[in-house]
Amino acid sequence: METPPMKIIDAHTHFPGYTFGCTPKSGQQLRREFEKEGIAGAWIMTTDGLLNNPARHNDLLAEGVRAQRDFFIPFCTVSPHDNLDDSLREMERCARELKMRGLKLHPWLQAFSMTHPNVVPILRKAGELEMPVLFHDGTPPYSAPLQIAYAAEQVPQTTIILGHSGLDDLWEEAVIACQRHPNIYLCLQGPSAGYIREIIRRCPIEKLLFGSDGGFMPDITRTAIVKLQCSGAAHRVLNRIFFENPRRLLPLGRHGG
Amino acid sequence: MKIEIIDSAVCLPVVKHKLCLEPWRRETKQWNIAHAIVAPSDGLVAVDNTEANNQMARLMKTWRGKISGLAVANPWYGKRAVKILRKAFDDGLAGLYIHPACQGFKLCASIINPLIEVCREYDRPVYSHTGTPVCAMPFQLAELARRFPSVTFVMGHAGYSDFSGYDMIPAAKQAPNIMIETSCTVGSLVQAAINEIGPERVLFGSGYPRSLPGYEFAKFKSLKLDPSVSALVMRENAVRLWKLRL
Repeated sequence: METPPMKIIDAHTHFPGYTFGCTPKSGQQLRREFEKEGIAGAWIMTTDGLLNNPARHNDLLAEGVRAQRDFFIPFCTVSPHDNLDDSLREMERCARELKMRGLKLHPWLQAFSMTHPNVVPILRKAGELEMPVLFHDGTPPYSAPLQIAYAAEQVPQTTIILGHSGLDDLWEEAVIACQRHPNIYLCLQGPSAGYIREIIRRCPIEKLLFGSDGGFMPDITRTAIVKLQCSGAAHRVLNRIFFENPRRLLPLGRHGG
Repeated sequence: MKIEIIDSAVCLPVVKHKLCLEPWRRETKQWNIAHAIVAPSDGLVAVDNTEANNQMARLMKTWRGKISGLAVANPWYGKRAVKILRKAFDDGLAGLYIHPACQGFKLCASIINPLIEVCREYDRPVYSHTGTPVCAMPFQLAELARRFPSVTFVMGHAGYSDFSGYDMIPAAKQAPNIMIETSCTVGSLVQAAINEIGPERVLFGSGYPRSLPGYEFAKFKSLKLDPSVSALVMRENAVRLWKLRL
């Protein structure tokens, strides 16, 4: 009997802007592209806002996907280098006014250390707002999984997602962080297929999410799906990673606009 | 016509201090892989080099025509490493495998020079793991390749993860004696490498066990390469580079 096609929620996508050679697209265009790959919903994050003027790009992202809120779950961003009170107010604004439901932080592009004094208050605020925090991780000097785990340990009420599961060089640290800290989840975007197989073997399945970095590069969504499918995991395991786990963390349409 | 594929990137798992070919063979049963270039892994790369090379030479005899083995010699062993490498080449191993992160040196550090000189003398290529920050980055490989222009270097895994998109092609352009091995990285970057540095400098690798053949073949299938380009990347470049007599 043929297995029915699996529903997929992509927990790591980007709204393409003008940086990194991306071409800006509307929410509708992007949705169409993702749906063509079999994606049923996507957590979406800014690209340009990681480099400058986070508040402006939070507005642009919210506006860009406003008509597609049954499909996209937008994440906001703030810079830990900015005034802390301003950042916390911006997070509240994003949650309450823009209905953004997660926080994206990128210690490498945003050039902050996880020991920066503003990081823990920002993460704590995210927990209060029920925003999971998805981190770029896997790249020294600021984005090693155990650096992120250092802050995660101080905010046990906040859900922390390692957006690349440590990539190929630090995936074993990501596994350790996921095993040690109940609030650390792994998004399987980035590690090679053999390492993904190992991550699935070693980590609690309910803490694993599918993500593609879609919107960032042309063929990246399809590549990420095929890579996870090639891991050899059982259909029921894949179903949890592709669909059930992200849906449990952030149900689609709850704050739909 | 179906191309008999050559896989230029396999690391054999070590079980009870023995190199095991069987898990990879099981993994590749469904793929049309005619020959593989295989390297050791783990402690056999870092420490027990003579043992690794001897095991590899035995595997090559057992699987004659199916595999070519790469030699390992940790440069920190100094003159002993040179001796180990010469012996491995005399035993027929096809090239040198280096893994700076595992062996504890920086790719462009002069400590590796004596081993590259042996490769030059024996006319053997060097496959280097790349992609690990600090010690195994594409521009470090380019620096080494410029130092030894008559030796061919393979940029293993195309600098994946974070160096594939940014450094891989510019570094390869710095040194024409660099070839790019395609495992782990994404399809669009393989296509970019083919377009920008030429299909004759790109080599297919499964990257096993770090990556898996199923994913790597799906990646290539999605590129829809011209058959002549595909033949170069999947087979002919490897035959030329590793001097295979198939």
